[in-house]
Amino acid sequence: MEEICFDVKNVNLFYGEKQALKNINMQLLKHKVTAFIGPSGCGKSTFIRCLNRMNDLIEGCKVEGEIFKDGQDIYSAKQDIVDLRTHVGMVFQKPNPFPMSIYDNIAYGPRCQGLKDKKKLDEIVITSLKQVALYDEVADRLHESAMGLSGGQQQRLCIARCIAMSPEVILMDEPTSALDPISTAKIEDLVLELKKEYTIIIVTHNMQQAARISDYTAFFLMGEVIEMDITDKIFASPGDKRTENYITGRFG
Amino acid sequence: MKREIKDKLLEGITYIASALSVLVLGAILFYLLTNGLHLIDWHLLSSNYYSSTANASVINDYEYVPMSDYSGEGIYSAKWGIAVEDITTSHNEDEISVVYVDPNSPFNHMESTVAGEEGKASSLSEGSLIKNIYYINENGETKFLSRVQMGDAAKLIGILDDQATGIVSCNFQSLGGGIRGSIITTLYLIAVSLLISLPIGIASAVYLHEYAAKSRINALIRQGIDTLTGVPSIVYGLMGVTVLFPITQLVGATSTSILLGGLTLAIILLPTIISSTEEALIVVPQSLRDGSLSLGATKSQTIFKVVLPCAINGILTGVLLGIGRVIGESAALVYTTSTVINDYPNLLSQGTSLSLMIWTIMSGEQPNFELASAISLIILAIVFVINIIVKIIGKRLARSFV
Repeated sequence: MEEICFDVKNVNLFYGEKQALKNINMQLLKHKVTAFIGPSGCGKSTFIRCLNRMNDLIEGCKVEGEIFKDGQDIYSAKQDIVDLRTHVGMVFQKPNPFPMSIYDNIAYGPRCQGLKDKKKLDEIVITSLKQVALYDEVADRLHESAMGLSGGQQQRLCIARCIAMSPEVILMDEPTSALDPISTAKIEDLVLELKKEYTIIIVTHNMQQAARISDYTAFFLMGEVIEMDITDKIFASPGDKRTENYITGRFG
Repeated sequence: MKREIKDKLLEGITYIASALSVLVLGAILFYLLTNGLHLIDWHLLSSNYYSSTANASVINDYEYVPMSDYSGEGIYSAKWGIAVEDITTSHNEDEISVVYVDPNSPFNHMESTVAGEEGKASSLSEGSLIKNIYYINENGETKFLSRVQMGDAAKLIGILDDQATGIVSCNFQSLGGGIRGSIITTLYLIAVSLLISLPIGIASAVYLHEYAAKSRINALIRQGIDTLTGVPSIVYGLMGVTVLFPITQLVGATSTSILLGGLTLAIILLPTIISSTEEALIVVPQSLRDGSLSLGATKSQTIFKVVLPCAINGILTGVLLGIGRVIGESAALVYTTSTVINDYPNLLSQGTSLSLMIWTIMSGEQPNFELASAISLIILAIVFVINIIVKIIGKRLARSFV
């Protein structure tokens, strides 16, 4: 029996008057990679941002329905949002390292939680960098600005920064869309490596990427989940005509 | 053909317009340089505005010792060990100034005869202006030598060398005409106004840009802040003296004071600081805020650890603009710091900033154009340097997020 990480029930999301998500229901499993695919503007990014409540930052955004994580509705009044985000990390479309040193970038999260012990911070920084296979590349310039790294390195740094918080879930919002094929391949390998320890939910425009790295795939269209199943099944024999059209490149 | 003429005409107008602006700027600079440049030296920056007068007589047990050699500037009296030269003061008066006093000179062994300080050791110091001298002539009579009788430096030394057999007493004056007090006052004003307006201004900008929801009230606040920029500074001065004066009274001010001026300037600076900080906050990419928040940082942690450090260049620009404003401000200070030049200013005393000092020295019975021009040049130089720094910082700001 697979463990459930997120249990999403009847989620509707509105930007002002406009409804962006319609009646989303799904279960996201622990230690699996789940990919969200679909054409631009279909709501997949909006939905992934629901899972760590980043949508709260957008003015006029209203969420209805329930998302249970470990038996607690993360949209209930009891939920501590800051605490939620320490458990549900996020990697963004464009690498967004802070304009500070590589070390400080990774130590940022733990420091915000009040960790001051230099030894522990050193340990966290080094293990996080090793986990994303960046340590060897930057070992001699940990205290130089992170802005000097290449795009791919920056994105791996952002993943390391996320891992430094030892979250349960890593949300990835098109993490490779701004990267070249080689950097993309490295990130994909990394995702496969990371899924042993973390639950990964990834939004991607790249169908091959979804097929390569995900265990489950959900197809979004116009704010609705058309179909969600085991990745192999989605790509081999989709249940819905629209999914098939999208995957075979007939639209989108 | 007609179009070509029109084109050339418009082009010519732009040439004339820019030539005019350059001409005006050049004329101002030329006027200030010809009038004021010769006054600018270390003495102007470092000495008092008011000259102080001293009376001193040679001490009774002074015994004449031959003077040592001197080969510096000025006309030297080997007999009395004093070298003097002719100068023109910043008030355009011809004076005889002391350049050197020998350690053995009677002028170096005197005691004050000024009421209240009798008997206190005194000496003729370098830079003083000699006003009159009592000396003993060959017949043993005490003679009075007035400033008019002295004539110029050469004549004074001639009289002393030829006729005097002893020095009795001397009246001398410090040179004065310096702007040290006003410089200190200006620094006080910068410190007080920034110390108050910076934290408040930055905090308001953070509220307006990071916390405030888009509501009508906040739009109104923003509009109000923009309007504040356009309020004439004399109005701020009025408000300062009526509203802020009671506050300075709480800390012991009995009159208008530099503190009051600083508080008023702080209010004048607020809109500048707020808008420049807000502009800097707008430039900070939203992705950095998202990144910080997604790592479980609180909103205030995000603001203090990521957003504000990124905005530091813009905030610095605001600070420098503020300093420029404080240096240039005069109207708001007329009521609040008073227009009395003060050589020894403190927070609770009156005083004039550099700009206000120009007003003071020009509004007396004998307006002093040259000193005013010299001060203007100094202000211009400071503002010029600040503008350059602002530009450099602006360039760095534009580069930091690409």
